[in-house]
Amino acid sequence: MSTVRDLASGAMGILQRDWNVFIAYRGRVVMHIMSMIFTLTGFYYVSRLVTVGSFRSPDAYYAFVVGGLVILQMVTSTLHTPPMMVQSELYTGTFERLAISPLGPVASICFMMLFPFFYSLISAIVMLTLAWLIFGLPVQWSTAGLGIPVAALGALAFSSFGVVITGVVLLFKQASVGTTWIIALITLTAGLYFPVALLPGWVRWTSDVQPFTPAVDLLRRVLTGTPLADPAWLDVLKLVGFAGVLLPLAVCLLSSIARVSRTKGTILEY
Amino acid sequence: MPVSAFPIGAERENGAAPSKPGESAPALVVRDLSRKYGPREVLRGVNLTLEPGQSVLVSGANGAGKTTLLRCVTGVIAPHEGSISLFGLDPEKQRRACQRRIGFLPAGDRAVYARLTVRKNLDFWARIAFVPRRERVAAVDSALRAFGLEELSDRRADRLSMGQRQRVRLAMAFLHSPDLVLLDEPDTSLDPDGVALLSGAVDEALGRGAACLWCGPTGARETVTTDLTYEFADGVLEPA
Repeated sequence: MSTVRDLASGAMGILQRDWNVFIAYRGRVVMHIMSMIFTLTGFYYVSRLVTVGSFRSPDAYYAFVVGGLVILQMVTSTLHTPPMMVQSELYTGTFERLAISPLGPVASICFMMLFPFFYSLISAIVMLTLAWLIFGLPVQWSTAGLGIPVAALGALAFSSFGVVITGVVLLFKQASVGTTWIIALITLTAGLYFPVALLPGWVRWTSDVQPFTPAVDLLRRVLTGTPLADPAWLDVLKLVGFAGVLLPLAVCLLSSIARVSRTKGTILEY
Repeated sequence: MPVSAFPIGAERENGAAPSKPGESAPALVVRDLSRKYGPREVLRGVNLTLEPGQSVLVSGANGAGKTTLLRCVTGVIAPHEGSISLFGLDPEKQRRACQRRIGFLPAGDRAVYARLTVRKNLDFWARIAFVPRRERVAAVDSALRAFGLEELSDRRADRLSMGQRQRVRLAMAFLHSPDLVLLDEPDTSLDPDGVALLSGAVDEALGRGAACLWCGPTGARETVTTDLTYEFADGVLEPA
């Protein structure tokens, strides 16, 4: 029981630290909102050009792509932000403090996923609201609230990848660069900007063996009412399966990586 | 000046064994420790024992292996040969129990969150050091007092001078009343007042039965009285 209490205290400490560091840079929120507006505006005018059979109207494509942008925030927060945070901690020497603390490097890295997750959730809500207010996105408010548990489940499934990539930073310092490629691949194979049905057959199978596709499909369904390719329960089951299997494996792998980096001495290198 | 958040002999709520005067197990036992970086052997068969209440100075030239020794003891890097025992515990198997009882000051001026205030830096450390919630504020206040940081408590770390920053780093090392204090060049950038505060904190720790391992470059002034002095040469630790 005291272990759980201690870990909860450590988790809250890291969450609060990340929040305090975040609010120390006051312009960050304004700049992020401006970026969202530019992105939403760009895709709004791209959607005006879309007249293909897959979408009944430009508005339907816009709703589809905004769903993709929302999930992209979750993907970025779980895959890209934590490795960058650890790299920054290595530069500033603060990772050493985490590593020697009773909390330890593995739990610290896992808890570093929390703030980016909550931040991306709030960003997603803001983005959806902006798209609705400025561009008249047809948000399905009756089911939109379900977007939060769906996003949380998706983030849990994605975070296994984030945990491993972050661990790899302890061994190979520039590993976070690789996440850019991974995110680019995800945007292509999970149908973030276009339906996966448009992909060539030899690539399409990759959409079925990763957690991003069901998360994107479910989120679009509850936010904008986009029809699902598979039954909703199957998508939920896939996400639960990915989270339940991959996350424990990822934490075990991270522990092994931390052990190896202690032996090699790379755990404090930057 | 008192920095202890846990009175001597008090049972700690966080599960760590209390620091007891006359505790039978040595605070630290290092046996035949070796550590390489690539082909370079930095530590070669190092042996060292620290009893509770004992203070040891390890000096040596730059790159002699002092920091590597401390990093091995804290468990942040693993030795390639030999063994380490802390309070009779195996740090590999009982990591958390050992880490609760260690206070570590890394060398340099890093390991502080630049955008956080002094108090927030200390509070964060108290949380991840598992200081119980209802003792946390008192522990932070006590550490601020011990290192003369009360007036700087709301100042951001990146707006501190080097000496002030060093005091913050020292406050973190002593905040949770560790039973083994590991200090890597602790008097760097400190003015005479800062050195006096450091000396007081070390004396207080020794007085409640903690052990102190102090590392510094050869020829550095001896800020505190030590029971034993060792010198590093070519990765070998020998009595000075």
